[in-house]
Amino acid sequence: MALRELPLRTAALTARDVRPVLNAVRPHSLRNASSAAAPAEVEPSSFEVPPPPPEAAQKFDPIARSKARQLKKNPLPPSRYQYRPPKYYRGPLHPHQPPPVSDPASRLFQPGPFSLPRLEQTYQSTIAADLLTLTYQHRPPGYRAPVVEQRLREWTGESPYFKNRPLRPPRGGSALRLLTPHRDFRNIPEIKKVVVHTMVPEAQEDSAHLHVAGMVVQAMTNVRVVAHRARSHVVQWGLKKDKYVAVTADVEREDTFHFLSKLIDVVLPKIKEWKGVAGTSGDGSGNISFGLTADQVAMFPEIEVNYDSYPPKMIPGCHITIHTSATNDQDAYLLLQSIGIPFYGKLKG
Amino acid sequence: MNSSIWRTALRPLQNSQFRAPAALRHPTQTPSATPATPSTSASPFSTTATLQKRKKQGPTIDPRVTNIRYHLSHPLTPRPLHFSRTRYLRHWTIHRAWMLFLRKRRWAEERDLERQYQAMRAACEHLRCMDENGMEVPKSEAGGQGPDPGTLGPRGKEVGRLYRNAMIKRGVAGSVPVEYARAQVDFPSRDGWNHEWTRN
Repeated sequence: MALRELPLRTAALTARDVRPVLNAVRPHSLRNASSAAAPAEVEPSSFEVPPPPPEAAQKFDPIARSKARQLKKNPLPPSRYQYRPPKYYRGPLHPHQPPPVSDPASRLFQPGPFSLPRLEQTYQSTIAADLLTLTYQHRPPGYRAPVVEQRLREWTGESPYFKNRPLRPPRGGSALRLLTPHRDFRNIPEIKKVVVHTMVPEAQEDSAHLHVAGMVVQAMTNVRVVAHRARSHVVQWGLKKDKYVAVTADVEREDTFHFLSKLIDVVLPKIKEWKGVAGTSGDGSGNISFGLTADQVAMFPEIEVNYDSYPPKMIPGCHITIHTSATNDQDAYLLLQSIGIPFYGKLKG
Repeated sequence: MNSSIWRTALRPLQNSQFRAPAALRHPTQTPSATPATPSTSASPFSTTATLQKRKKQGPTIDPRVTNIRYHLSHPLTPRPLHFSRTRYLRHWTIHRAWMLFLRKRRWAEERDLERQYQAMRAACEHLRCMDENGMEVPKSEAGGQGPDPGTLGPRGKEVGRLYRNAMIKRGVAGSVPVEYARAQVDFPSRDGWNHEWTRN
């Protein structure tokens, strides 16, 4: 037994003696503060090239060089990268492609976000989880949802023209209703955007109404407005075709939450005897609309502090459409109720 | 609107009085080259100026409207930014970092909701397979197998009663009270009023 252990013991004794040697072989990064530093390996650099002789520096005249270059009509390229993104997108096959939207040179670049709105934080921290709890529907393991077949009808008949014809449009409308997927932690309804719309038929006689309406909507929403023409003649309403009668503002991103916060916390509580949004509102696919009268619009803080700048008779009412990612109106009602918009009457559906 | 301070910064004018640009002025408002002489008075021998019958004037434009038009038609949007190479790289780095930050935050939020979802799912599955005595039954004997959670299994109503109750969604639509939407702010304080406070 002892004979068997002999080589092991010998190895241990040898290792003890060898240890200082091993210490010396350690990599330099593990050295102690007391031990010596390794000689630094300096990369070859352009500073090692000897400087130009002083005569050359004395003779160098940048102004004369520049003038000579101007005379030769061969100036240096400008210091800035002169690139303009294309104004129109001409398709993925065009050689001239616009830069990505995140590039500041892009025409679509939007800086920001500059704030984290309270409403957005509240949604993330509280409302999303509560909506998920409220609308949870259990599916036992192994459950397989029935597959939705093609919802559009085919053309059936003897006519040879029915072959390869596009499917028939849906019954009772031009577009199919949205399908509601199973509620999941990924598809909790959220607010996508808000559209503020004002129609001012008086603008056909006097464009001042349109301009004031545009300025009011811009002040309310912090978004540049777009003016719209009347699509057709309507004699009863006094509408003439192709006259500018309306302005809209698409409020997106953080502006949405700022606008809704102002609306919910400042404007709506100040309205006297306001019942709420009609429970019949909604387009069936999760977008809810309601209207404000002119004196309610004047309660927006941006209008109120600067009320004297607007001709009071020209301040318009407006329609507000809240677009949500819900696919039906019931989920949109729940979401809007949870952010503080009250509804009155029996809710649709 | 008292904005004369920055109006001059926008359009340096000789006189401090704000005048609308020529394009925005109504043609009737422009002063004519030959001003009306005061000599057309009814009584030529009187030196007293008599009030003339007012001439037909065009529609007067509200100065507030003129002001609004002025500010609407002056786009202050700067041209797109063009960065040099170093600044572009700086912007690109910051943008990538911000995108990574957003992605991580979104991922964390989604994991949070997923955890909640799986917990609810486990709880509902437990209730579905529980009989009246709180004992677990095999999944083949539990109800709620199809799309309708109220479907009864072979053991009838005694299995999964709490599950069937939990799956009734009748009152859910439009059930959020308006008090729920109170803004999550630090005020008012929990104590409300400091009753111990005295003036020394």
